Amino acid sequence: MILEFLISAVGLGALYALLTIGVALLFGVLGLMNFAYGEIIMAGAFAMYLFRDQPWLVALLMAIVFAVAVAVVSEVLAFHPLRDADPVTLMIASFAVSLAIQSLARMTVLPRTRGVPPEDFLSHRVDLLGADVSVLDLLTLALCGAMLIAVAWMMGRTSLGIQLRAAAEDFEMASSLGVRANLVIPSAFVIVGVLAAIGSAVLVARQGAVSADMGLQPMLIGVVGAVLGGMSSLKGAALGGFLLGAATALLESLLPTDLIAFRDAFLFSALIAVLVVRPQGLLSGAKVRVS
Amino acid sequence: MVLRIDSAYIQYGASVMAVQGCSLHVAEGELVSLIGQNGAGKSTLVKAVMGQVPLHGGTITVDDRSVSDRSFSTVRNRISHVPEDRGIFASLTVGENLRLGGITRKDKAGLAADLERELERFPVLRKYWSRGASLLSGGEQQQLAIARALLLNPRLLLLDEPTLGLAPIIVDLIFDVVAQLRQEGMTILLVEQNAVRSLEVSDRSYVLQAPGKVLGSGTAAELADLPAVVEYLGFSPAEMGVTR
Repeated sequence: MILEFLISAVGLGALYALLTIGVALLFGVLGLMNFAYGEIIMAGAFAMYLFRDQPWLVALLMAIVFAVAVAVVSEVLAFHPLRDADPVTLMIASFAVSLAIQSLARMTVLPRTRGVPPEDFLSHRVDLLGADVSVLDLLTLALCGAMLIAVAWMMGRTSLGIQLRAAAEDFEMASSLGVRANLVIPSAFVIVGVLAAIGSAVLVARQGAVSADMGLQPMLIGVVGAVLGGMSSLKGAALGGFLLGAATALLESLLPTDLIAFRDAFLFSALIAVLVVRPQGLLSGAKVRVS
Repeated sequence: MVLRIDSAYIQYGASVMAVQGCSLHVAEGELVSLIGQNGAGKSTLVKAVMGQVPLHGGTITVDDRSVSDRSFSTVRNRISHVPEDRGIFASLTVGENLRLGGITRKDKAGLAADLERELERFPVLRKYWSRGASLLSGGEQQQLAIARALLLNPRLLLLDEPTLGLAPIIVDLIFDVVAQLRQEGMTILLVEQNAVRSLEVSDRSYVLQAPGKVLGSGTAAELADLPAVVEYLGFSPAEMGVTR
């Protein structure tokens, strides 16, 4: 029972951590609070629907292609021309991009919610050290955990990762050292696309459906997790997302059935309490880029 | 001439004039200091050289390329700037900060040799290589900032208030390093409020008065003959034993 709960809580925490890193990375590097992040997730989810008859791994790869394409195209068409704009302008532009992509999807490929039948292997349960664990929970944990490890490795061990972290902390100083905006900003969008695609694959598997507005909730989770952990710290954002996911799983397990519907009220009350004590977020230490 | 500033005007907002008609130059291998009180426009001028604040009049050229030209980016990559707040990346380790210093260099062998030289110059950086930069003291962070700037193998080094808020023993160390770099032939523009120490190490100095006007320039001995400069500084370089 405990192992089953742990796998579920850590898996959901890892999923939420992925979502928050996607929000915090663009905020750090570009000063962009990207409300179109939800539509990048939706693009990945749509690929999972479109390639639902293909092997799951093929659909996952296509989700990555679709999500990265939408992320990069939004950067080239909308955010690149606004590179020197203030954060409020960028945020409003991201609203416009979000609504434009969502409306386009609604008018064309996703006028209504589409069902994506779960893969057979995802509905199985397996015995793990005496615990009855769902394959879906294991997949969530494995996929999101592996992705978090890959992101941590890339950020910590590669030249691009160091440049991204430096740019996220102080873009002007990084730029004066020779870190090129034309390298780090598109790279950040590609990484965000990959993170969104992995997130979308897990979300589609868990929800069994795809819709034009399905990215709204994960995007909000990403924003809230990032605020909780600290918008200016990628580690903080990951921690914030993880704690949010783990707390969600914990509340689902502990709350009486008639209170489950009020889960988010408990969750966000706790979040407000944390932010009253640490308004800058749990791990915020570095400077926030304001222009 | 490596750096030439001619009649530079810089304005913040609609009415705040930060630099008013400032002209100065730094020749190859020269150590030139820019002395003045808070608000004199020293840091603004340095930021303008880096293209971080726009010019409202006049010109700034580095190796005869104007900061307002598109082609300036090729020269800008050879200018190292140690800003007043040191610009250390707190979330990165000492080693990662140093790695960023050489990010634009293609000669990896030369970079490795330069890194070794800077670690010899600043042994504390080797000792704390894997430590988070935020955990360093102010003096250690300043050493890191200077070492990182030197790893670019710069054509021009801009040092903005490198001794600000540091303990006297670290101030001595920083000025020793600056003197050492001058001996090595580095071209340096040093912005400082510590006028005595700056005059001691510099080939020439410019005394800046708010809003960014040059009150006088020359060697310490030449500045000692300018009554307006002596009155502004509150001392005569000759009386302080500065004879360079």
